[in-house]
This record gives sequence, C-alpha cells and structure tokens, in this order.
Amino acid sequence: MNDELRRHLDGEIPRSGLDAELRSEAEAWERLLDRFRVEVSGGSPPPWLEQRVMAEIEALPAPGRLHRAVAWLVRPHPVRISPLTAGLAVAALVVVLLLPGGGRTPAPIGSAAPGQDSGQAARGGGPAAASAPNGARATPTVPVVYVQFVLEAPGARSVAVAGDFTGWDASQPLEDPDGDGVWTGRVAVRPGVHSYMFVIDGSKWVTDPHAKRYTADGFGNRNAVLAVAAPSA
Amino acid sequence: MHRPAERTDAQVVRDVLEGDRDAYRLLVRRYGDLLYAHALRMVGDADDAADLVQEAFVTGYMKLHTCRDRDRVGAWLFRILANRCKDFLRSRRRSWVPFDHAVAVPATGDGPEEAAARAEVGNRLRRALDRLTPEQREAFVLKHVDGRPYEEIAAVMDLSVAALKMRVHRARDALQGLLEEYR
Repeated sequence: MNDELRRHLDGEIPRSGLDAELRSEAEAWERLLDRFRVEVSGGSPPPWLEQRVMAEIEALPAPGRLHRAVAWLVRPHPVRISPLTAGLAVAALVVVLLLPGGGRTPAPIGSAAPGQDSGQAARGGGPAAASAPNGARATPTVPVVYVQFVLEAPGARSVAVAGDFTGWDASQPLEDPDGDGVWTGRVAVRPGVHSYMFVIDGSKWVTDPHAKRYTADGFGNRNAVLAVAAPSA
Repeated sequence: MHRPAERTDAQVVRDVLEGDRDAYRLLVRRYGDLLYAHALRMVGDADDAADLVQEAFVTGYMKLHTCRDRDRVGAWLFRILANRCKDFLRSRRRSWVPFDHAVAVPATGDGPEEAAARAEVGNRLRRALDRLTPEQREAFVLKHVDGRPYEEIAAVMDLSVAALKMRVHRARDALQGLLEEYR
C-alpha cells in the first residue's frame, strides 16, 4: 500500500492532501471501512449477564485473602484494655521472667524440624504425582507436603497454580524446560482439602482435567480438589 | 459518605477487596457494555461473547488484588477480556473452520433479494476478519470499527504505537482484496 494512503488511513494526512488517484483509492477504503462498522456491530450484553457473573462470584473465595490479611496487620488498631487487666498481665509477665529458664525462646512445636524433609505423597488428589524433594524447605512449626502439579498445555507461554493455598494468587509457576508442552512444578501445601486451578498465560483459568474430585463453582466452572494427608511423624 | 453510584473505581476495588462482594456489581455495570461490544466484534457470536465477558469478569474478581492502577480498573478488565478473546480465536482457528455467521437481516423495507445481497456482503466481511490473526483482528477492530485513536489503544493494550500500527497495516493489507467492489 502506498505510504501516503497508509498515513491518510492512519489519520495523519487529510484526504485533500492526496493526489487525485490516491484520493479515489482513499474513498474506496473509507467506504469499505464504513461497511465494516455497520456489519461488525457490537450490540448490548444480554440482561442476564450481570446476574450470571454475580452468581458465579458468590461461589468463589474472596479475592486476595492474603492481601487483606497483610493489610490488617499493617493497619493500626485501637486496643481497649482495663487497668485491672493490664496490671494482671504485667504481673504474669514478671512471674514468667523470674522463673528458672524464663524468657528463653521455646522450642518449636511441630512435626518437622528445619532441614528435615517433611514432604510426603498426597493420596487421592488430582495432581499426577506428589513427592518430597531432597532437602525440602519445611518450616519448623507447620508440616507441609510438596505436591507435584502437572498440566499438558502445548503452546502456553506460562502456567501457574492458584488455589486456596496461594490465596487464589497465581504465584506458583510451573515449568516446561524441555518445551514438550508438559508443565510441572512442586508446591508446598499444608495438609487438608484444597481447591485449585491452573492459570495459563497469566489470564486463562483452566480446571485440572486429571483431578479425581471437583467442586462446582456455579454455571459449569469447576475447581479441582486436592486432598493432602499430614506427613507421618 | 458516597452513595454506591458515586463511588470511584478505586473505591469500588477497595470495597471489594475488603469483603464487599456485591460492590463488584458496579464494575460489571460500568464496563459490561464495553467488554461485551468488544467480545462480539472479536468472536462474532453472541453466546461466545457473553461467555467470554463472564469469564473475564470472574477472572478479574479473583485477581483484583493484583490490579495496580485501581482508577483504571476498566482498562485492566478490558485487557483480561481482550486476551481471552484472542485465546478463544486461536483455539477456534485450530479446531474448526468457521461457517458463515448467522446474520440477522434488519427490516429495512428491502425485498428478499436485496436483503440476501446485503447479508452476503456482511458474511464476506466477517469471513475476511476470520482470516486475520487474532492480534491483527483486535488492532483492526479497535482502530477502524471502534474508531479509537492509536495512542489510546496502545495504552490500553500495553503496546507501542509503532507495533500497533504495524498490526493495523498488516490487517488492512490482508483485507485489500475486498476493496474492488468499493471503488
């Protein structure tokens, strides 16, 4: 296409700035583009769309629960306490500090020690496999299980896991180092029953097709369900 | 105190994130028309367009805490929808070749032959759009059907103006074959 005509169609040159031949070509383009505007109309959304969206949202967990928890922690909160309660609290603290060994940091409570492998295979969940990596980074107080997630997504640029264990944030990326379209990754999950989905290319939420259980979230969408057993002592 | 209808987008986002789920309805009302119109222009089918808009709003809700510029949550939702539409078109291109779109012929008083001729013109234009890549179709629709300036489209789609123009130019080059009957 002629550069002047291209610039005219881009709105950079008025039609009067074109020579006669190009002006005729520009008019043809304008007629064609007008026709597109008529034929490719947008229209209005169906009246039930708002209700359908809101009904689906009602079935979902609140967005960014972790975000709200952090916001609550950093926001100042007034604390009301009676003088009597405050006095009793101070007295109790003094007694604790005067006891032999008082004031030392207590030993962590929990089944996993730092550096120990607290992972185990999750049974009955949707992910294709679950295992403990070597040198798993378990927290000292909370037992976690490393669950391996697998999704076949050829052509994807990125895949991540989002679930109630991530605050529904797609913060746990999977990897496909050999480019065969099979994305895998291990994620630390606390024991319990969890819901999750995969997020492809940062915006497309898909249900794990290989999960053994699902929960309906309304209007045909489903979350996969993962059951994680506590690690044995 | 603000009445619900007066809340800014940023206030609505804050309220939703603080647990007022129903406040999200305001965003659905404010941006439903815009998103649906774009989806319909992109995919050409009313049911598919409604499904895509619903998915975009639900995804937006679930990821709302990641929206950094809350005053521009509408543009953020539009980007989610636009990406969904392109994914949809890519999967459709892989899985089937579209038949002619069903065309609702407006009652203009034309006879059946004129109406059929107009319907065929519409079909031809939509088939031509179906042959564009999703990116070219998006750029062409926003520029020449919506009539938005390049700078606005580039800002919403997070593209450079030069890259956007290139997509529009390629779309127009691909549509050049339609030009003959408009000369």
